[in-house]
Amino acid sequence: MRILVVLAVAACSVPDGDYFGRTDRGEPDHFRWCNQGEPDRLDPAVASSTASTPLVHALFVGLTAYAPDGHSVASLATSWETSDDLRSMTFHLRHDARWTSGRGVTAYDIAYTAIRVANPLTGSPNSDSKQGYERRRDVAPYRAGEIVELTAPTEVDLAARTATRPLALRDLGAAEPVAYATVPAGAEVTLVMTTGERATLPSPDGRPWAYVQWARDEEGVLGWVPLAELDGEPHAGAVLHVRRVDAKNRGVDGVRPELEVHGGDLLYTPDVLGRDRFDPYTIVFECADPTPFMFAMTTNRSLRATPIETVSRWPVRWTRPEHIVTSGPLHLVEWHERDRLELVRSPTYWAPAEAKSARMTVYSMDDQAANSNYYFTGGCDATASNQVPSTYLPVLDGEQRGRPYKDYDVSPYLGIYFVWLQTEKLPDRHLRRAMALAIDRAPIPAFTHGGELPTAQLTPGTPIARLDAADLAACGVTHDTPGMALVMAPGELCYVPPPGLDFDLARARAELALAKDVPRPLHYMYNAGAEAHKQIAEYLQAAWARIGLDVVIEAHEWNSMLADTRAGKFELARLGQIGSVADTESEFLSLFRCGTPDNRGRYCNPAFERLMIEARTMRDRVARNARLREAEAVMIEDVPVIPIYVYTQKRLTKPYVRDFAINAIDQPPLWRVWIDPSWHP
Amino acid sequence: MIRFVLGRLAGSLVVIFLVATASFLLLHAAPGGPFDTDERRSLEVQHAMEEHYGLRDSLGTQYLRELGHLARGELGVSIKHDTSVGQLIAQHFPVSAALGVLGLATAVILGVLMGVIAAWRRNTWVDYVLMTLALIGISVPSFVLGPLLIAAVSIKLGLLPAARIDGAASYLLPALTLGMIYIGTIARLARGGMLETLGQDFIRTARAKGLPERTVVWKHALRLGILPVVTYLGPATAAMISGSFVVEKIFQIPGLGTYFVNSIAERDYPVLTGVFVFYAVLLVLLNLLVDLAYGLLDPRIRRAR
Repeated sequence: MRILVVLAVAACSVPDGDYFGRTDRGEPDHFRWCNQGEPDRLDPAVASSTASTPLVHALFVGLTAYAPDGHSVASLATSWETSDDLRSMTFHLRHDARWTSGRGVTAYDIAYTAIRVANPLTGSPNSDSKQGYERRRDVAPYRAGEIVELTAPTEVDLAARTATRPLALRDLGAAEPVAYATVPAGAEVTLVMTTGERATLPSPDGRPWAYVQWARDEEGVLGWVPLAELDGEPHAGAVLHVRRVDAKNRGVDGVRPELEVHGGDLLYTPDVLGRDRFDPYTIVFECADPTPFMFAMTTNRSLRATPIETVSRWPVRWTRPEHIVTSGPLHLVEWHERDRLELVRSPTYWAPAEAKSARMTVYSMDDQAANSNYYFTGGCDATASNQVPSTYLPVLDGEQRGRPYKDYDVSPYLGIYFVWLQTEKLPDRHLRRAMALAIDRAPIPAFTHGGELPTAQLTPGTPIARLDAADLAACGVTHDTPGMALVMAPGELCYVPPPGLDFDLARARAELALAKDVPRPLHYMYNAGAEAHKQIAEYLQAAWARIGLDVVIEAHEWNSMLADTRAGKFELARLGQIGSVADTESEFLSLFRCGTPDNRGRYCNPAFERLMIEARTMRDRVARNARLREAEAVMIEDVPVIPIYVYTQKRLTKPYVRDFAINAIDQPPLWRVWIDPSWHP
Repeated sequence: MIRFVLGRLAGSLVVIFLVATASFLLLHAAPGGPFDTDERRSLEVQHAMEEHYGLRDSLGTQYLRELGHLARGELGVSIKHDTSVGQLIAQHFPVSAALGVLGLATAVILGVLMGVIAAWRRNTWVDYVLMTLALIGISVPSFVLGPLLIAAVSIKLGLLPAARIDGAASYLLPALTLGMIYIGTIARLARGGMLETLGQDFIRTARAKGLPERTVVWKHALRLGILPVVTYLGPATAAMISGSFVVEKIFQIPGLGTYFVNSIAERDYPVLTGVFVFYAVLLVLLNLLVDLAYGLLDPRIRRAR
């Protein structure tokens, strides 16, 4: 018992001094980062975890890259043009980009990732489109080349092919003897793409080639073969029903009916990129509607170049250190699962000086306390955001000793913590409004200790009081304007969300008096495991009790809560939304479109829909923002969600760490970080 | 003996089949799936991913496929990390095993020592102190003890690493944290076994022959008195190796336990079923070893077989 008491006393004392962690430096050219867990994957096409995203950005180049302030800037693309109608963007690529294999990085490598993301064989979580098929032949009322989609799912694999002789899978144009896999005669392969098609490589010898996948084992293998060798199409006679995809067939007027076709009439198409002026150093993106955020989307992790030769040989294991070929500022040399990754400065990146440290170690630590403890004892130089346990926060922000530690930073995050209200189960708008108006959000940061920014607005951003003069002008506000503003292009473009339903107890009671058939009790769902969610749930329960609402709070396991909320099986549920681009239209407001699966509240208001559709076709971005603001105002008055606070990023960074950029989307260019050898305590 | 072992192994196959079936059914009965996310994702993409991993097949088809894999000695491929489950186990189990063995060694050495001394000095202050310590060891969970040890030994004194395995010294705190809860149980079992043994006729005979008390206790009584501990060692070893996930999490040790627990949250069905079956095999084998050890320690049991 005495030992336990000694341990407890030792554990409860807090470090004195300016810094929370030890400040003795490690090696000068070596940056050590405590990541927030094991990256699920490093393949841009399939990586989806927040732990993998900054590493994907460091290893693979994209057309654009995140600048330290979080906005997209030139990278593989050195210049670009946007069409007047905002429907098309043409990127011009640099000629000096190289893979670590020595081959040049081209537009086809970007297109290849996009093709993989869209192809069901990849099983990519980043895909966001239905499989498209191109008509091979004219069959009235459709024309050959039009994009169609199946109207009902099919068990038939339309891309299945066979060959009467063995297929030698190889790199495009390579001779048969250098094949790295041989498909036995008659074995089924899946056609992925052919040369000379939309955004695919041109044929090297004038004859068409096919890129196929052979499921020889769990991983499979891909490779090129001359198209003529694929002489069997097992499902050519299958009867299917298709209809034209209007969004992908601009210029074709009128509604086309559903049509019965045969499998052989269709060709799977990686319908992801435009066809015009596509060459190794030019790439064109086309959208059905004006898409002003298309440029920012090109920075996304799932649109990074991937090397076809390596992916083909090891479709799953190609990012292992023994196989990986990279194009970014850093290169992976070791990956010890669930422990650490070792990265070094890439020898082939076009601007090697951008990678300030010769080596970077990334620790895969998914426990917040372990992360902070390891940082404290000098194991790493900086932590990923929000890797500080809530129990440490009062210590770090100085509540105990009167001043915060200098190596602890809190900054706004492009994310909103909110409560979904299932509008089909709580159809009375007065009830929902009463619930929103009953919440005084201001005291919440006092018990969550994370410096969160209470708000009744949906779109998160920076508090207007903290904006500089240029951004204030762009936003059309003054320092004393309350609320948040989302800076979309510094000093140029800004979105100021409408005010939400802030705390007003009298109005809340008045709204509740108008409500009919209030269910009692109401049920509030939150995910177990984090103390803050429970504290907030109890706080909201008390707030609603003050206007006479009986709310039962229930802790749920995370996955079952996600499944239940997606299925609409809830009344009230805490969730949040994190944006990856400073654009409310794509990141936040689109959550509330009728019938979208992310619309967990089952909200649907024709007025909101109309305004969103109107905004979508507007080319003037200021006018477009004004229309979006109207839409958000409609939605926020309907209360399908109750915004609570803007998330913050909390991180620990040693004082000798330089150029660790903090931005609202939490995408620091890690390769730019360096250790200052001249720093002394 | 051979017939006994073969009989036990045949029975084990039934146990493993039942474990695989039960784990498959229970895991699929749990709400949510591997691709549930709070990120934005269209239903088409969700379905395509489920299709890709065969999760849209009927439960019966999935079950038969799973059994087919097991029959061929395959454990499937992780849905979340695209690595074979066999490879995951080969990579991470040795870390858990090393931690478990160290924890077990700590627990056995300290626990048996405490139990024997407490029995030898029964109803004295030595007995009371040791048994109180044993009770504390049982009562303080590892998620309390671990952080306290880190705070005091790593953060305050800077003597040992606060997290990760980086050299032999990194195992000390995790092994102590893991072993502590078993020290108390083993001490109490050893004390009980020793008390019973010390009252038996052959001990009285040994004392009557004039053997020193130390020889009576440590040479003659301990061999029989430790049998309850040996019985406990089978499940304890399995529990320590398979149940080290809390300690692995606290100290961020890349063992199989953490992987297993994370896979529950991720609904990584192949990993979960594979690890369940692997642990079932492990438990069955350890229990068999314990039974064989019984025969070696107690001639009466050997003769009965």
